[in-house]
Amino acid sequence: MSISQLLEQYGEEYLLALLTTWKLTAICFSAAFLIGILITVFRVSPIRPLRIFAELYIQIFRNIPGASLLILLVYALPYLNVLLSYFLCVAIAASLIPAAFCSEYLMAGINTIAPGQIEAARALGMTFPQIIRGVVIPQALRSSVLPLTNLLTATMLTTALASQVPMKPRDLTGLVSHINTHAVGGVMAFLISASLYCATAVVIGQIGNLIDRKVRILR
Amino acid sequence: MYDTDTKNESRQPIISLQHVNKYFGQLHVLKDISLDVYRGEVIVVIGPSGSGKSTLCRTINRLETIDSGEILFEGKPLPREGKELAALRAQIGMVFQSFNLFAHRTILDNVTMGPMNVLHTPKKEASEEAMRLLERVGVGTQASKVPAQLSGGQQQRAAIARSLAMHPKVMLFDEPTSALDPEMIGEVLDVMTSLAADGMTMVVVTHEMNFARRVASRVVFMDSGSILEENTPDEFFTNPKTERARFFLNSIQGH
Amino acid sequence: MSTVRITARDMLYEEPGPKAKLRIRVVTGISLAAIAALAVVVIRQFYITGQLDPKYWSFFARATTWTFLGKGLLGTLEAAIMAGILAFTAGFLLMLGRISRFRILRGICTALIEFTRGVPTLLFIYFFFLVVPQFGIQMSAFWKISIPVAISACGVVAEVLRSGVNAVPKGQTEAALSLGMRDGSVFLKVVFPQAIRYVIPALIAELVIVVKDTTFAYVVNFPDLMQNAKVLISNYDALLSVYLVVAVIYILINYLLNRLSDTVAARQRRKKLNVT
Repeated sequence: MSISQLLEQYGEEYLLALLTTWKLTAICFSAAFLIGILITVFRVSPIRPLRIFAELYIQIFRNIPGASLLILLVYALPYLNVLLSYFLCVAIAASLIPAAFCSEYLMAGINTIAPGQIEAARALGMTFPQIIRGVVIPQALRSSVLPLTNLLTATMLTTALASQVPMKPRDLTGLVSHINTHAVGGVMAFLISASLYCATAVVIGQIGNLIDRKVRILR
Repeated sequence: MYDTDTKNESRQPIISLQHVNKYFGQLHVLKDISLDVYRGEVIVVIGPSGSGKSTLCRTINRLETIDSGEILFEGKPLPREGKELAALRAQIGMVFQSFNLFAHRTILDNVTMGPMNVLHTPKKEASEEAMRLLERVGVGTQASKVPAQLSGGQQQRAAIARSLAMHPKVMLFDEPTSALDPEMIGEVLDVMTSLAADGMTMVVVTHEMNFARRVASRVVFMDSGSILEENTPDEFFTNPKTERARFFLNSIQGH
Repeated sequence: MSTVRITARDMLYEEPGPKAKLRIRVVTGISLAAIAALAVVVIRQFYITGQLDPKYWSFFARATTWTFLGKGLLGTLEAAIMAGILAFTAGFLLMLGRISRFRILRGICTALIEFTRGVPTLLFIYFFFLVVPQFGIQMSAFWKISIPVAISACGVVAEVLRSGVNAVPKGQTEAALSLGMRDGSVFLKVVFPQAIRYVIPALIAELVIVVKDTTFAYVVNFPDLMQNAKVLISNYDALLSVYLVVAVIYILINYLLNRLSDTVAARQRRKKLNVT
């Protein structure tokens, strides 16, 4: 099929798929960020069970393949009488996994802080919450901008898992699979989706670079 | 300029370490340390590496804990935690070997952070005072820069201003010039000398012997965790009483 | 001076006083209870749905089960290794193009790298599974999974190799050139070997991603661990237990790969400290 035919027939669906991918990415990244913060808090806390729990979480969700996790959520959970919608399964898989990486990046951000600064803040008489708010969080976040930007792109790529379940509306990858199983979509069908993914990734990268340049800490 | 209590009646030391012991695991780093610091005094602590002098300095504001003995500030034992400890630390200034300025804020913000957060000074007042202090230590023109843009000497002077902004009763200096290039040591020592001249109570851990000779009220010599000698600088440098002090002084000549 | 690196993380909490110690003990107790409660809820759910029944787990005691899974794992590793080799080759070429003197070549390679990094692996897999046959090209399932996974990874490999090349001190190139070596030899014999050594940990990390991507082999009907698992499931009607075990196997493999990467990185750090 030529590009004009494709767009005529599937143009609207491509737009819908793009929005679906964006929506999934936004939801999953936000969830991953929040979970990542929580896991990081556990990791640095003086409470051992929480630290162990956090380390376990990271080892499991850093290393589990997305497909494996999705299959567990979609096909295995019903055996435990837990039925989740397809959308929810994809969202959970695409949130839990990036959350592990988010925590790793935040941890690296915290470790960019010269430890003496925390001592200096303490010596001034600042309390623990003041030190966290005034020294740790600003520096950790500002140092993690680039890795977190990459994580946003990676999350978007992970949402392609949605193509593995009969989720409606379809995402960009699921749409290509659909078009090509019902017609000869050819390279064009693939290229449209690929370009949309790619363009989004490039824009995310550019914005990330801009933000990083503004907030980067000179050391 | 600073609170100097010269009346002999109320000669209570502002800081008093009494039979302080500290262990790092098996290592006995502070052995039965007893030391009194009176208002207006400049105590210079010298000694070879590993003698425990930095640790001694850091126990005073409880950045290091002690295993036995007592440390009194203005007659009261150091609080062990919480708001009281933070309040105590606000009264004791500390200057670190590696400056430890907050990398993500400007120099001016570095100096106002303490007063605004801890003393709840309003921003305008804190900023004005901060500029005065920065000018006093000679880095007023650097106020809107970030620490990475300053030389080591400038950073350390800014760090001194940061501590002064809290109006501390005592200032602790933990090897303030050891991380500086030689040509910048002088400018920092000059600031410290002028502080001493204004009557600030100071505890200084350093290798700068000339500074000790000129400015110290008392020199404390430490080795292997114990205080071996305590004397006026003149007495100590011309007539060291212990073998180890003599050895130490000889080994640092000619540098 | 101690040689242990103190990080900000170590400094966050200071030596707790008595009240703080008590608070820590209390919260530790509460969190232990919470985690235990969570575990109980999960195990209970397993129990009441009958998933703890031995019929779902007993076949794991048999050696044949594991040899069968092992064959599937071999398939996974075959595909992963081939994808790794292809990705490394393609990544190497892309990296050369990216740092070349010719602007057009640089531009093309940069665009290709960004393209492979901005598109999900699944989309590449669908391309090879659904679109390529439309042009009459026949490919075994093995290539239908290894090639797209390799394409997806080669962009990252190119950038990782490039960072390694940038990390080699310029002095190395200068010394080699002054010995009379030619540009090409200098690069291949002096710069690149060092560049690789710098980035081995990052390359291993990318290998983990390759292994994870090969789990999509079921899309192209390639017999890997996942496919063999499906056979077990239909034989023993034990979906939950099998998929759980498979997940654990994948986690273990990737965990070990990551540990390898960390060990290599730690050894490199130590070497650096000793030499200087």
